[in-house]
Amino acid sequence: MADHNPDGDPTPRTLLRRVLDTADPRTPRRPRSARAGAQRALLETASSRRLSGQTKTIAKGRSRGARSIGRSAHVQARGHLEEQTPRTLLKNILLTAPESSILMPESVVKPVPAPQVVQPSRRESSRGSLELQLPELEPSTTLAPGLLAPGRRKQRLRLSMFQQGVDQGLPLSQEPQGNADASSLTSSLNLTFATPLQPQSVQRPGLARRPPARRAVDVGAFLRDLRDTSLAPPNIVLEDTQPFSQPTVGSPNVYHSLPCTPHTGAEDAEQAAGRRTQSSGPGLQNNSPGKPAQFLAGEAEEVDAFALGFLSTSSGVSGEDEVEPLHNGVEEAEKKMKEEGVSVSEMEATGAQGPSRAEEPEGHTQVTEAEGSQGTAEAEGPGASSGDEDASSRAASPELASSTPESLQARRHHQFPEPAPPPGAAVFFAKMPMERKALEMVEKCLDKYFQHLCDDLEVFAAHAGRKTVKPEDLELLMRRQGLVTDQVSLHVLVERHLPLEYRQLLIPCAYSGNSVFPAQ
Amino acid sequence: MEEEAETEEQQRFSYQQRLKAAVHYTVGCLCEEVALDKEMQFSKQTIAAISELTFRQCENFAKDLEMFARHAKRTTINTEDVKLLARRSNSLLKYITDKSEEIAQINLERKAQKKKKSEDGGKNSREPAEAGVVESEN
Repeated sequence: MADHNPDGDPTPRTLLRRVLDTADPRTPRRPRSARAGAQRALLETASSRRLSGQTKTIAKGRSRGARSIGRSAHVQARGHLEEQTPRTLLKNILLTAPESSILMPESVVKPVPAPQVVQPSRRESSRGSLELQLPELEPSTTLAPGLLAPGRRKQRLRLSMFQQGVDQGLPLSQEPQGNADASSLTSSLNLTFATPLQPQSVQRPGLARRPPARRAVDVGAFLRDLRDTSLAPPNIVLEDTQPFSQPTVGSPNVYHSLPCTPHTGAEDAEQAAGRRTQSSGPGLQNNSPGKPAQFLAGEAEEVDAFALGFLSTSSGVSGEDEVEPLHNGVEEAEKKMKEEGVSVSEMEATGAQGPSRAEEPEGHTQVTEAEGSQGTAEAEGPGASSGDEDASSRAASPELASSTPESLQARRHHQFPEPAPPPGAAVFFAKMPMERKALEMVEKCLDKYFQHLCDDLEVFAAHAGRKTVKPEDLELLMRRQGLVTDQVSLHVLVERHLPLEYRQLLIPCAYSGNSVFPAQ
Repeated sequence: MEEEAETEEQQRFSYQQRLKAAVHYTVGCLCEEVALDKEMQFSKQTIAAISELTFRQCENFAKDLEMFARHAKRTTINTEDVKLLARRSNSLLKYITDKSEEIAQINLERKAQKKKKSEDGGKNSREPAEAGVVESEN
């Protein structure tokens, strides 16, 4: 290996070339002598070590793998060897050698192909094959035709050097663009990367990333589906209500629903759905879609309930939908609380935002539900971990409530029928099967409880001479519930139970330029 | 200083005990009335429990009333706060609203009487009357 050291800095390309030259063309799975394997491992290790000079982490991994390979000449070593295939080395090269891998002429497309190249390379399915497919880069090439012209000259210069490498037998081409542009030059190179990412993102200049677009989730349909499925086995329930972290459930969705306008995008929708289910899992704190019933009974503030509401809000669903999921979420939260025996006073406070707070008959305001999630967090206290999340989400919901008071207030005057929460939610919280009648009774109690909470919120707002429910009302509610005390303030609950996104919305924080957000 | 704090604490405690005793006595009297009415006896433990409950609930009420008043950005507890406090129990709420209306009427009548008095006193002389009217209007 020492013999191969070039005079100057060994470029990854040269290293890779050497490796490929010396590497066994057959798949490593075939039986080989241990020595050959060890030698190959050493070879790869040396080259990898040089490559890893640029990346510490990779070096560590490779060195470990190399050492392990060197030590044992068993088949296991071969398994490790597989990690050192030229494919992996190429991956490493692509990661560390941007100038050669990025074929795009200007910065417009330059950074984009790099990550794309990296990611697709990881997804190569075929081992040992040096063919990477990168179809997505082709559309990118069409992006800046004007820029291609000047870039092509550079590329051609590079290509000439590259061509030398090619002539010398480098089978791999790291310039995907070369395929599109100079097919004649790089005829021997077939480098295409699978397109894991959306082609749309390719068109973004530089590293600009589009804010994750979330499609409004039809909470009503979701809830209906949940209801339709007869008492689901606990597994399903657990899947639905995976606590992601309270704010999660609702929080990422909630958060986005609040400030961003809903975007429609296939991926975004999927992501949103995925997040929703995720959030529902944690059910806790964040406004899990409400169904996860992870919300502690904590007052409507259950942020989780809000999460549902948020999801719907993001889509611009009418307040009714929001209210419904929120209410459900609140109910779920309450169920949880009852089962956990946690006081829901916090939930009251959090009700501000999330639907959980929706003490108002109108429905729960999801916005402040983030606080509600905190409230739920309080409600959690003991019991399921998810419960904890819910509780926190509930507490957070009150905070969240403040964020969307206006939009929700407009809908306050409508009494929204709440979608029935899935029957599995209570079972999930009780951690034991429940009779259907028992579930119905619990549901009724939750209904009344949340209705009561909403009425209280409305009365509090009217008591202060307002028509809008504000976070102050939620805080008062939580105080009466005992979640917010002289020792434990609302902000403490927010911090405890709500995810960071909601916390930023609820707790005023000073930013640069002497600006405080949210404004007091 | 510590001694002062201790004595203060002791004083508060003794004061609290006296209050509790007063509440206990009142509860005992009320229970006796109910016992005569329903022909059912009350045990001492029951009366003690009720009085303790009443005392603690009074503390809660006071805190809630203060919260309500502060929520409405006031420093004085109002009848509105009391009504908000009693909203849970329908009959109690009704009773309290009726009482509050009575009191409001009484206040209005008193104000009207005062106005009349001032007006009568003002009619004696025009100048004082005008001044009185102005004052009453104010």
